[in-house]
Order: sequence, then C-alpha cells, then structure tokens
Amino acid sequence: MLSRVAESLCWMARYVERAEDLTRALAVHFHALLDAPHEDAAEHGWASLLALTGEEAAFRSRYEGIDEAEVLDFFVSDAKNANAVVALISRARENARAVRDQISSEMWEHLNRLYFAVKEKDAADFAGGPYDFYRKVRDGSQAFSGITHATLTHGEAYHFIQLGKHLERASQTVRLLGVRYANVNAQQEGTPVATLQLISMLKSCSAFEPFRQTAGSRLQAGDVMEFLLLHRQFPRAVLCCLGSCGDALDAISASAPKRAPRPDRPRQALGRLRAELEYLDLDDVLGPRMDDFLDGLLGKVHHLGDEIARAYFSTQVILPAARTSRGDQQQQQQQ
Amino acid sequence: MTEQDSLFARGYDPQAFFDEMFERGASARPHYAPLFEELSRLSHGAFQQRRKDADIQFLYQGITFTVYSQEEGTERIFPFDLVPRIIPAPEWERLERGLAQRVTALNHFLQDVYGAQRIVREGKIPADLVFGAQHYRREMVGVPVPGGVYAHVVGSDLVRDKSGEYYVLEDNLRTPSGVSYMLENRQAMKRVFARLFERYGVLPIEHYPQELLGVLKACAPLHAAEPRAVLLTPGVFNSAYFEHSFLARQMGIEIVEGRDLVVHDNRVYSRTTHGLEPVDVIYRRVDDDFLDPLAFRPDTLLGVPGLLAAYRSGQVTLCNAIGTGVADDKAVYTYVPDMIRFYLDEDPILPNVPTYLAARDDDRAYILDNIEELVVKSVNESGGYGMLVGPHASAAECQAFREQVRAHPRRYIAQPTLALSRHPTYVEGEIAGRHVDLRIYVLCGPGKVTIVPGGLTRVALRSGSLVVNSSQGGGSKDTWVVGERAGRR
Repeated sequence: MLSRVAESLCWMARYVERAEDLTRALAVHFHALLDAPHEDAAEHGWASLLALTGEEAAFRSRYEGIDEAEVLDFFVSDAKNANAVVALISRARENARAVRDQISSEMWEHLNRLYFAVKEKDAADFAGGPYDFYRKVRDGSQAFSGITHATLTHGEAYHFIQLGKHLERASQTVRLLGVRYANVNAQQEGTPVATLQLISMLKSCSAFEPFRQTAGSRLQAGDVMEFLLLHRQFPRAVLCCLGSCGDALDAISASAPKRAPRPDRPRQALGRLRAELEYLDLDDVLGPRMDDFLDGLLGKVHHLGDEIARAYFSTQVILPAARTSRGDQQQQQQQ
Repeated sequence: MTEQDSLFARGYDPQAFFDEMFERGASARPHYAPLFEELSRLSHGAFQQRRKDADIQFLYQGITFTVYSQEEGTERIFPFDLVPRIIPAPEWERLERGLAQRVTALNHFLQDVYGAQRIVREGKIPADLVFGAQHYRREMVGVPVPGGVYAHVVGSDLVRDKSGEYYVLEDNLRTPSGVSYMLENRQAMKRVFARLFERYGVLPIEHYPQELLGVLKACAPLHAAEPRAVLLTPGVFNSAYFEHSFLARQMGIEIVEGRDLVVHDNRVYSRTTHGLEPVDVIYRRVDDDFLDPLAFRPDTLLGVPGLLAAYRSGQVTLCNAIGTGVADDKAVYTYVPDMIRFYLDEDPILPNVPTYLAARDDDRAYILDNIEELVVKSVNESGGYGMLVGPHASAAECQAFREQVRAHPRRYIAQPTLALSRHPTYVEGEIAGRHVDLRIYVLCGPGKVTIVPGGLTRVALRSGSLVVNSSQGGGSKDTWVVGERAGRR
C-alpha cells in the first residue's frame, strides 16, 4: 500500500474518533454542569473542558467571557479552531477523498453524509443543549466503524484504519483523565460531589455502565482509574486501546512481502508502553503524582505515533520546498 | 394530475434549429416517442422530485467539483439534466466508424511526426504548423512507443448543424475528461427512469473501465509479465479528482500522486508501506508540462523527476503518450481529413467544421472582415477559454480579437457560427430547447479501437448560449444509443 494512502487512512480514522470523543466530553460536561452549585463552578468547568484540547489560550484570545454559547461555538464550528468538530469531520472527509479508491463506497458515502449533517447544523440542534448534536456525531462515528468493519476487506487498509482509531482513542482517554483527575482528587473520597465527579468522568468515556457491571467495583478514584487505564477488555480503556493498536501493527507487519526483515520500531515502542502499564502498581501514581504520570503517558503515546509515521508514512525523499502544489493542481487544463 | 400540470402542457417551440427530439410541427421523432409519452405523463411536481433525488445522490456520492476560491471550498454538483439524448443504432454506427477511422489516422499522424515525418516531407501539411505547435515535443522524436499507440484515450466533440448533419468540432488527445459523468449519469437515469430502460433497448456502457484497463495492459512494456498499472492524478484539489478516483476504483488500480513515485535506474517505483514497488503503466491525468520537473517545467512538484528518461528507455508506458497535444492543436485539426486520405487512403466518414486558419493570408483576411459572424478560437486553449463568439460579442471584444489575430496569426482559427442542434432540457421550471454537443470517448489499443455506445451530451443551460463546457455553466445529459427495440412496446 502507498505510504501516502496509509497515512490518509490512519488520519481519517483519527479525526472521526477525535470528533466523537470531543463531542462526548462536551455533552457529558453540559449535563454535569446542570448539577453544579455555583456560577463560578460553571466557568471553571468550561475552562477545564478547554484544557482538553489544550486550546484555552486560543479561546481566551478571541472570546471575552467564557459561557456555554461561546464554548459550544468554539468546539463545534469555529473556523479558526483546528479541533472544532466541523473542521475535524471535514478533514476526515478530505483524507477519505484522497483515498477514495481504497475505501468502500459505503464508507465514503456515510462520511460524506455525516459531513453535510454536521455542517448544516443550526440553532435548533443546540436548543436543548449539545446532546442532540453529540448523538448525531456519535452515531455517525460508530456507524462509520461498523460500515468499515462490514464493507472493507480486512487487509492492510483496514488495519491502518484500526491503528489510527485506537491510537487516537488511547490518547483522548489519557487527555480526559488528565483534565478530570485533578477535580476528582480535590474532593474528599465518598462525598456526593466526589461521586458525581467520578460518574461524570466515567460517562465521558461511555464507561459508567460497563464499570458498574464489573464485579466488585466501587465508585472510588482508585477503582475508576484502574478501570479506565488498565482494563483489558473495555474498548476505551487505555491498555485495551493499546492492545488493539498491537493487533493492527501485527497484521500490518505480517502483510509485508517476504524480504529482509526491517527493525520494527513501532512494535518495540508499543511493547514497552504496554509492559509499563501491565506492570503498573496504581497506588504508586494515585494522588498528586497522577498528573505527571498521565503527562508522561501521553508523551509516550505520541512517541508511538511518531514511530509509526517514520516506519510507514515517510518513505519520502525530502525535496527542497518549492511553491505549494495546490495552484498547479487547479491549473491543469481540463480538456 | 390535471392537463395543465403536464411537462409539455405549455407547448414546446423548436424554433429554426434542428431539434433532437421534435420534427417540424412539434411531433416527436419515432425514436423519441416512448420518452415523450412518458414525460408527458409526468407532472412538474413529480419531475422535480426525481430531479431532487438524482441531485442528492450526486451530492452524497461526492460527485462534485469544488470552487476553491473561498476560504472553505464551495462544492457544486455538475448540473445534470434528466431528459436523455437518444441516438438510433444506425446513426450511431456511422459515428462509430467515422471516429474509429479518425482516431486511427491521428495515431498514424503522431507516430509519423515523431518518426519519419512523411506527411511533412510530402507537403501535405506545413512543417511550421506541426513543429511550431505549442504541444509538439521534440523530446519524443525517435522514441518508440508500445504498439505504436500514442493516444490511448481520445475524447472527440461532435455537433450537428441546422440540417442535422454531424461534424467533428475538435478532438482531445491529451487528457480528455468527463467519462465518469457519462457513467454516473447512466446510473442516475437507471434509478430515476427504470421503466423507460425496459421499453428502450439502451445499449450498455458500463464496461468502459474494463475496456480502458485492457488497453492499458495491452500497451505495457514487453518485460512486464503481469503489468502493474497506476493512475497518476495531480491531486485532490484538481477539479477532475472525482473522475480520477472513480476510474481507479472501477479498474481496480491504484491512484497515485507524483510524490508517491520515484525513478531509480530508469525504473519507476511507488513508495509503499513495505518499500518500493515497480510500476509498468501510468494512466496519467497530468499535463505534459507537469510530468517531470527535470525535463519540463522545473518549478512544479506534481510530477516525478526522471520520468521522461524512464519513459524514453521503454521501462514504463505513459497513457496517453507525451506530445499527443500536437494532434489536437486547433490549426492542425484542419488537416485531419487530409491525414485520413494520406495514411488510410480512405474518404473521411465524418466531416470537419469548415475552418479558417489565421496563419493563411486569405483566411486571415476573411476572418478580419467577417469576425462578427465567426467563432474565433485560440489554438491551444480548451474548456471554452480564449474564444470569441462573434454574433454574441460586443464591438470592443471583436476589435480586441482582431488585433490578437493580426499580431499572432498562428495562434488563432475561426469557424462559422454553427446553429447547433438543440435538445429539450428542463430549466427554470419548464422544458425548453438548449444547444447541445456530444463528446464520444474512443479507446485505442494496439490494432484495436473500442468505442462504448454512448457519450456525454453537454448542454449549454443558458438560453441561446453555444458554450457547453462545464467551466462555463454547462450541464450534461445521459446519452442513449438504442437498438431495434425502441418504440416497440
């Protein structure tokens, strides 16, 4: 498979996943705020949501206050926000267009519909809060996964899509925990506020019910963090996502024609990361050390992404920067 | 439905033009009768609904072209008209023979001007016209191409005049586009007018991509036992990108950009996740100028450095070959009937539109005197750019073209303004006559010409306009070639 194609497939999946994760965080947050006691708590809450994409500074530079309407606008359709949901779906679609010949017609058509659905959202979509919009994006993203599973040959293209999706999901879960854990940790364990925080954190990962179904789980910070970080079967838990990345990398590696073996740095990086989590003693990092730990973890997930890019996407010869080629592409005469 | 609602209730006036559907006195031609019957039964509302259904299918399938001037690209679907154009089989059969003859002669011409140059030596065509053509490529002289095929894919544009006679208006031998619309229009029509397809025996066109793939493989370099073909696109920002990916999917070949390819030791490879893979045939949709920065324009990254050298060494086949543009130069076009006589010793089956070459003194004088009556075209432009439609132009525009023609005679030709045939077309809520042309796609393999029965009928949606190009507000229609079953039931 062409390197460029593999890269586009991977990013197509990442953008769809990211759009779903961000809208979920937005919707859960909105609902949690309905229970929040004070005005300033609300403001603080919105700020923590902005921290999720690391774009609080960009937001503050363009918006005066920080209220629901502004945050929604910023997250959903702000043309200057590269991680706005509309921008993410649009980029997913542009990547899909670039590999239109490699994905199924059903996948393309679905992504195309999703794009028009989020692009043509109107005020009515937000009249009752962001929930309806979230459902639209979530359904779109999850149906996309299903359609991909059901219509695309489970070959190399499929595995690059899985790789992108699970890598993104792992990194989103880590980010979310990083933002949320501080609030959780600030509360006295067992108080109603602490419990609400934990529930909201679980819901941000669609994990509340699965967590409840796990035998012996208590709504305590330790149990919740263990579930979201280290569970091996819950599909949004970090370790589980990394496992899926591993499956995809194994399959990609196995699809290589028989040649002299190349060092497999992505699999090495992933192996180290999984081992670290598998042998983690959670008590070592609970409490004030969690912040640093999650930061480090996020860095390693990003490093894994870099290794994948180096191994599979950038067999490019670096050419001296000439002018952008967009002008040339448009310039081609159509006979 | 009341009588007043019917599509044709308000009548239809073919005016003084040749109308594809109606004879004088507004009765439908026999091969159009079943269609006319079906349309007359439809109300405006029902027709509108079908139009909307078709449009939304085009939109969701991403059959769009993008205007990238705004900050975010505006996407539009190509206007598609639901009233199909119908051509009876005997009429088609003549077009088919005529184009096969024409394209065969054009390939002989290309092989000749890059080889022995007999036609020039024997004085059948002026040397400066050939060697001075903008798209003549000296780099190709003496380079053998597999099977002697230069133009593998040709799109020829035909028009009909007042009497209904067909003329070849131009041939496109570089990278003709639009065939995906021919195929997608057919899909849309089958969904919208399924019953009509039952009544007519419309000849199928769906095998076009397979035929094209056959041509690509048949022209592979000899060393390739199982040739690997790819489609080279300028990229997603190109307005024809949809077509590129459509054809690649239909043929089951990979679509690549210049940056995906690399040349090593005159062999072309693609960069894959598992290293370099050799490439044997490139169906390129990139202009000559952009193919290889080492040989042509140095300031572009769309192409592949070293591609020309690899091509000249015979390690890779390009479809179409480099330098085919010399044969679709609008001045060289004038000589196609002579080429047919010269190479094939046959009479041309399809006539050219009478053409005045500004490079000839007599013709130039005629052009300058009669510019208000003529269509003046720049020889190197396509897509409806660089042309003047005399009867529709202002005095100032005519004057500007006069000066251009005087200053650069080699660059201009002129043709009489043809009263192009018209076809009933749904515009602004009613059926009205609009001018049409017909692009037919010709596939050329070694010793074999294939034409799928159909084409792209392009229609000028603006009232009175003669310019059908999509970039100039044109739309398209499905084109049916119908066999004997037509009108039987």
